[in-house]
Order: sequence, then C-alpha cells, then structure tokens
Amino acid sequence: MSYLLKINNLHVRIGDKEILKGIDLEIKPGEIHAVMGPNGAGKSTLSAVLTGRPDYEVTEGTVQYKGEDLLAKTPEERAWAGLFLSFQYPIEIPGVTITAFMKAAVNAKRKAQGLEEMKAGDFLKLMKQKMAFVQMKPEFAKREVNVGFSGGEKKRNEIFQMAMLDPELSILDETDSGLDVDALKIVADGVNALRSPEKSAIIITHYQKLLEYVQPDVVHVLKAGKIVATGGRELIEAIESKGFDQF
Amino acid sequence: MGHGRYIAPPEGLYQVAAGERLDLQYVVLPGESREIEVTVDLNGPGAEAHIKALYLCRADEKVRFRIVMHHRAPGCKSTQAINGIAGGRADVRFDGTIVVAPDAQQTEAYQENHNIVLTEEARVETKPQLEIYADDVKCSHGATVGQLNPDELFYMRSRGIPESEARTLQMLSFLSPVIPIGREEEIESWIRTL
Repeated sequence: MSYLLKINNLHVRIGDKEILKGIDLEIKPGEIHAVMGPNGAGKSTLSAVLTGRPDYEVTEGTVQYKGEDLLAKTPEERAWAGLFLSFQYPIEIPGVTITAFMKAAVNAKRKAQGLEEMKAGDFLKLMKQKMAFVQMKPEFAKREVNVGFSGGEKKRNEIFQMAMLDPELSILDETDSGLDVDALKIVADGVNALRSPEKSAIIITHYQKLLEYVQPDVVHVLKAGKIVATGGRELIEAIESKGFDQF
Repeated sequence: MGHGRYIAPPEGLYQVAAGERLDLQYVVLPGESREIEVTVDLNGPGAEAHIKALYLCRADEKVRFRIVMHHRAPGCKSTQAINGIAGGRADVRFDGTIVVAPDAQQTEAYQENHNIVLTEEARVETKPQLEIYADDVKCSHGATVGQLNPDELFYMRSRGIPESEARTLQMLSFLSPVIPIGREEEIESWIRTL
C-alpha cells in the first residue's frame, strides 16, 4: 500500500528548544486523521513544518509526500503538489483583495501543472460557487484578505480557499477553535465535501467538537512532542471522559 | 520600460487661495536621486492641498522630501501621503511639517509617511512634525519604517503564490494609496526590479 504522507522519526526544533521528538505518522489516500493533544504538545509545530514555515529546524527524520522528499520543497511547491494548511490564526493582508489573492494562487498552481491561466469568467464562476458553499457573502470577493474579519469569517475564508485549491492533503490546524456550532458545521461540510478515495486530511484539535461532524479514520494523541497513542474513535471518547493525563 | 519619464510638478512655493484646490503628485523611480522641497500656503478659507508621493530605490539613490504645509486660514484641508520602498544602499529622508496658524480654525490636516526597507544597508529617516496654534483642528500624522511582513509572505506562499510574486503583491498593496491612476502597470514592472 502506498502512502500519501509518511513521516519517519521527525525531530523539529525552534531555536534551542526541541518541540517534536520523533514523530511517526503514515497517511493513506482517502484517510482522515485526527491529531489531538493538549496545548504545547507540538501540534502546530507539526503543521508548520509540513507546510514549510521558516524558523523550524528539522534535526532528524524524513517526510515523504507522494514518495518525494517534502522537506526539500518550498512552501509554494508544496501547495502546487496539493498540500493545504488551514491556519489557526489566518493572516491579514491589507491591500490585497480575496479575488486577487485567489487568482494569483489558482493560476500559480495551474502554471506549475503546465496549464494555462483560468479564463476570468470561469474563475469568477468558481469563486462564486465556492463562496456560496461556505456561506460567504458575495461582497467578500472584494474585501481585503482577512482584514476586519471576525474569527468565524476568517475560518470560513480558510475553508473557502481550501475548496478553491482542491488539495489532496488538507491540514486543519485548530480550525474549530473559537467557532460557534453553525460555523463549525460549515467547516465540517467543507471537509466532508472534499472527501474522496484520493484525498486525505489531518485534523489538529484539542477538542472533540469538530470530530462529531467529521469522522476520522485514525486518531492520534500527541503529547510532549511524541505520538503516545494511535487508535480509532474510541480514543476520542477516552479523551473526552478522562482528558490527556491518562496517556 | 517603454514609458516616458514622469514630469513631476515643479517644487517650491505654492499659494492656494480661498476655495481653490492644489494636487501634487511625485514619483521617484529607481536610479533617481531627488530632493523634493515643497511649501504650501493655504491662504484663504476652504483652500485644499493634497500631496502624494512614492519612491522606489534599489541602488545608492539619495531621496529627500521636505514638505511644509501652512494652514493660514480657517476651514482648510490638507492631506499628505508619501510611501516608498528602499532597497540597495538607498538613503531616504522625509521631513514634513504641518503648521496651523492661530486663525486657522476648523483645520483638517493629515500626513502619512510609510516606508519599507528591503536591505540592511538601506537607510530611511522620517521626521513628521505638527505645530498647532489653533484649538479647533483635526490633525494626525503617522510615520512607519518597516519590512515586508514575513507572516503575510508565508501565508501567500502556502497558497502556492511564488515568493517573488508574493513580494510584488505586498509591495503593490503597500504603495497602492500613492500610485497615480493609470500608472499601476508601470509601477508594478519597476517593483519587479527591486
């Protein structure tokens, strides 16, 4: 069986501090994995290093994505290869509209795939369709990226971008934090709609809320930089009743 | 670049009479060293002056802005927006003063000077000053010297926008308040040379 993502003995540090202390994780096409853990476990570091954020130093281990060395690729090359991160704290980009931003992103990916730029009409149609899907009002197309957005609007914008870019591996970093139930359902619908035998996702969270709406195939518990338990949905229930101290 | 050099308005002293409006726009392109000295006298009630400037440096240019805005009559309005990007070993300085005379009540005066420094060798100094002698005025000034925001850059790259393209987008958005209408493409192509 071939893996979409294969993490082997990954050690990561920021400055002098080792955050990830030997992670092993294998994700097959079509699988949804939940990574749960308390604050400070290294969950966000894992998402950061997978997407190529600067300042994170890999000191040991490998990450293979579609059989290639993921860590050798730039952040944009990872995006072109189908990786997507829904940010825990989406970034505001004053002066750049969502339309301009997504157009640059979609066309850069098409260029990398040897395709022509999308026709303006087709692009706007796609935007409209995906915005409706995450229940973003059409006027957001002209808004500056995340500027003045509420917490829920920012997260919806992340899921909108995910839908636009149609990734093969989506990483949702605490996408559920700070969301009310309605917004949570929109996020869950977004993830569920992308489910297919080829597409996978990593849902990073320390609550079980989102996992009520998106059923993970595999659940991992990350604690102090290591995966300390792997299993099925029964792990979510165990965490809900007894917390992370039991691991 | 296939464009003629921009003819900037002359520098020096501008007198603006009651009810009149003055618009000045300056563009300093890479390779140009310039000293732009402008003094504006808003002499009559309701006079307005609006100054916009942008600069782009990538080598050892020396760029100076010295702007003095006198509000001498009531009900006048002025805005200043000076944004620029300093790369290479550029040396940039902005001195901007707004003076509101005792009689110049109901003055509105705004001044913004924002700068991005691309290299360790480039230098930018900004000195905004307000001298206000009237009490019924709306005045503000803002000055910043910073770098391209690395979080924005990573966010864009994580969406597949190549680093050079992301930087161009950042610089364009930073300059957008001061880019003359119709010259967006020309400025964009200059940005790509930084």
